[in-house]
Amino acid sequence: MVTIFGVPAAALYGQLLVGLINGSFYALLSLGLAVIFGMLNVINVAHGAMYMLGAFAAWFLLHMFGISYWWALGLAPIAVALVGVVIERTTLRRVAHLDHLYGFLLTLGLAMVIEGLFRYWYGSSGQPYAIPSALAGGIKLPFMFLPIYRVWVVVVSLVVCLATWLVIERTHIGAHLRAATENAVLSQAFGLNVPLLVTLTYAGGVALAGLAGVLAAPIYQVSPLMGSNLIIVVFAVVVVGGMGSILGSIVTGYLLGIVEGMTRVYYPEASSIVIFVIMVVVLMLRPAGLFGREKDSAANASPPIGATQATGMDDKWAAIGALGVVAALIAAPALVYPVFLMKLMCFALFAAAFNLLIGFVGLLSFGHAAFFGSGAYIAAYAAKVWHLDPLLCVLAGTATGAVLGLLFGALAIRRSGIYFAMITLALAQMVYFIALQAPFTGGEDGIQDVPRGMLFGVLDLQHPVAMYGFVMAVFVVGMAVLWRVVRSPFGQVLKAIRENEARAISLGYDVQRFKLKAFVISAALAGAAGGTKALVFQLASLTDVTWQMSGDVVLMTLMGGIGTMLGPVVGAAVVVSLENALAGLEFPITVLIGAIFIACVLLFRRGIVGEVQQWFARLSRVSN
Amino acid sequence: MAAAAAFLDIGDLHGWYGESHVLHGVTMAVGKGETIAILGRNGAGKTSTLRAVMGILRKRRGVVRLDGADLLALPPYRIPRMGIGYVPEERGIFSSLTVEENLLLPKQVAEQGLPLDEIHALFPNLHERRNSSGTKLSGGEQQMLAIARILRTGARLLLLDEPTEGLAPVIVQRIGAVIGTLKARGYTIVLVEQNFRFAARLADRLYVMENGQIADVFATSELDARMSSLHTYLGV
Repeated sequence: MVTIFGVPAAALYGQLLVGLINGSFYALLSLGLAVIFGMLNVINVAHGAMYMLGAFAAWFLLHMFGISYWWALGLAPIAVALVGVVIERTTLRRVAHLDHLYGFLLTLGLAMVIEGLFRYWYGSSGQPYAIPSALAGGIKLPFMFLPIYRVWVVVVSLVVCLATWLVIERTHIGAHLRAATENAVLSQAFGLNVPLLVTLTYAGGVALAGLAGVLAAPIYQVSPLMGSNLIIVVFAVVVVGGMGSILGSIVTGYLLGIVEGMTRVYYPEASSIVIFVIMVVVLMLRPAGLFGREKDSAANASPPIGATQATGMDDKWAAIGALGVVAALIAAPALVYPVFLMKLMCFALFAAAFNLLIGFVGLLSFGHAAFFGSGAYIAAYAAKVWHLDPLLCVLAGTATGAVLGLLFGALAIRRSGIYFAMITLALAQMVYFIALQAPFTGGEDGIQDVPRGMLFGVLDLQHPVAMYGFVMAVFVVGMAVLWRVVRSPFGQVLKAIRENEARAISLGYDVQRFKLKAFVISAALAGAAGGTKALVFQLASLTDVTWQMSGDVVLMTLMGGIGTMLGPVVGAAVVVSLENALAGLEFPITVLIGAIFIACVLLFRRGIVGEVQQWFARLSRVSN
Repeated sequence: MAAAAAFLDIGDLHGWYGESHVLHGVTMAVGKGETIAILGRNGAGKTSTLRAVMGILRKRRGVVRLDGADLLALPPYRIPRMGIGYVPEERGIFSSLTVEENLLLPKQVAEQGLPLDEIHALFPNLHERRNSSGTKLSGGEQQMLAIARILRTGARLLLLDEPTEGLAPVIVQRIGAVIGTLKARGYTIVLVEQNFRFAARLADRLYVMENGQIADVFATSELDARMSSLHTYLGV
């Protein structure tokens, strides 16, 4: 048998083909993302959901109406485009004038709602979709078996990608798109109907995702989660390629698909993270991406996220508030289930740590679950295997968060705005895959039956009161650290960076160092929260490192009030209560969380605490 | 110059950039076929007036009518379709479009636009360089392109924002000749200028802006008599 570098040639060609197939989907999806981003300045997180909708549309057409694959190839993308039109006209349009992080959060909420509903209706398992008979079977080549359908997918995606590129670069309508992408305001002064172009662009971009879904249906199963797994990889592809260039996103898509396929041959363990590793390398060598042109946040004239907040309370009210919270925490176990309160405090600290970045530096990290989760894993491991003192376990979790934060932060701060969010998300996904595969994390089971241990060797935390006191101490210390940071001169510089980064630089501040320090502090406290959580529930599991966990913490902060001290605490209380209340129901909680996300972004961008502060500010202005 | 007969009628126009109030009640009336120039120092509100007419400055109040039609009520992309050609400050050439694409970009609004071959006769360079990127042209060529692309659309009112800015004297002369030709063809032209000698050769009337208002207006024939007051307005 012929071998290449010790691998049978047939296996190599087989994986090459699989890589090319994946690359086809990466290319179609990242092309759509790039086109949408260029025009709307929105990273369409719902792109994975649109891909899933395309596959489901094909499945519906076949199973409900007996409409064949060939018709679905045209009809499904049109259906998805129509969904896109509705989404753009009813929601995206309303956040167009805001920081593009809101667009990110809005489409995230949409993705959660759409995917959650489909999971509710069809379950997590996939529905099979038969390969159309004309494309069934394969060709037996001398060195491998070539399935016809897979060749078809590669050819169709190549043709569609190139056709899209030609339309954009060579036609009259393409010129209109390019003009509106470059300068929407001026384009309108020449009579271009930019609102219509925006709608068409979004519809066209998601139609590409829908087409990818139809093509994928016979290869993978048609499943509600097929898109959410893919979209994060596509984000990494987009970061690698850089979003400035249409052709660049196509080439990068195919290239990374092939690299991934090759990795599966030579080092299968790394195949799920190789694209993320490449992203890290590209970020270090060429932050704008292989084909990118640097323009991201510099041109962003909209007010930074979090900057709309009232300037905060004075010291007297702050002290009263802090005392009130502590008093409430001491009294609460008499009324509320203590484990629930401890969970609440863990998540409140987590959200407050996250808020340090988004609320006071203006950076949306979408990978904070990585710090929370690894803090939980390390603390659980330290308690169970090393039998360390619980305090040391939590400190180990904190240290893990800090180290990871230093690594991630050093990479992520090379970009800002929406790229920052995508990079942190992709890096966190790497941690997720490591947690899934590494021997010490227990894989799908996690680390169970973690002993709570004896604090300082004397105080048994198995006792509920002792444990409650311990968690409360961690919470109060963590919040005090954040309070101190925000109020310090260091915190003032952070706020200056958020308001106007260029001006902070011109004043002589090393902005990158400040961002990195803030990132490390935030990650460390997230690790502390995760470590404490592992002791409370005596469990560290994959749930703690999923991107949904990162999404939860964003929601808590957004809902409570970005950039306020108390907001994340209130937001965590609401979200944790909701999750508890709905835990028994069959209805998927992600749908509700997603809907709340959408509502917060569209209606209550100040959050609960922000709205209350605004109300008080208005009241005091009136009374003065 | 009866206001009722005005082609472009601006009345008590106020405009804001966010919180800052930049236009404080601009009033002017431009008759059909007239060429007027708006003079004034930096920051007087000349460019903002044009931007308010075009709807680029969104926050505005007052009256802007073209041939009796209310422009303020229209979404921005409909305003040029009423028959207005706009040459923005710094020319506004799209770098991601070729010269040809820049030329063909503005929406055709009426039948009577200049045909392409006539435009090419007027600006021969543009034809030669039709496939290069719009911003690869020299400043003068870009200015020619900015004017050429609005002539094709059939617009009858041209708003020109500092068409001579940053150009060599010989190019300024050519631009002047082109504007003269357009005037002779019956276009209505509103010219924003720092260079009042250039404006005075072309315009029928001169408006002087200060602090977001029209401070003075007079016919070009009165220029010599008004020289000293004009120097007070424009001097530093």
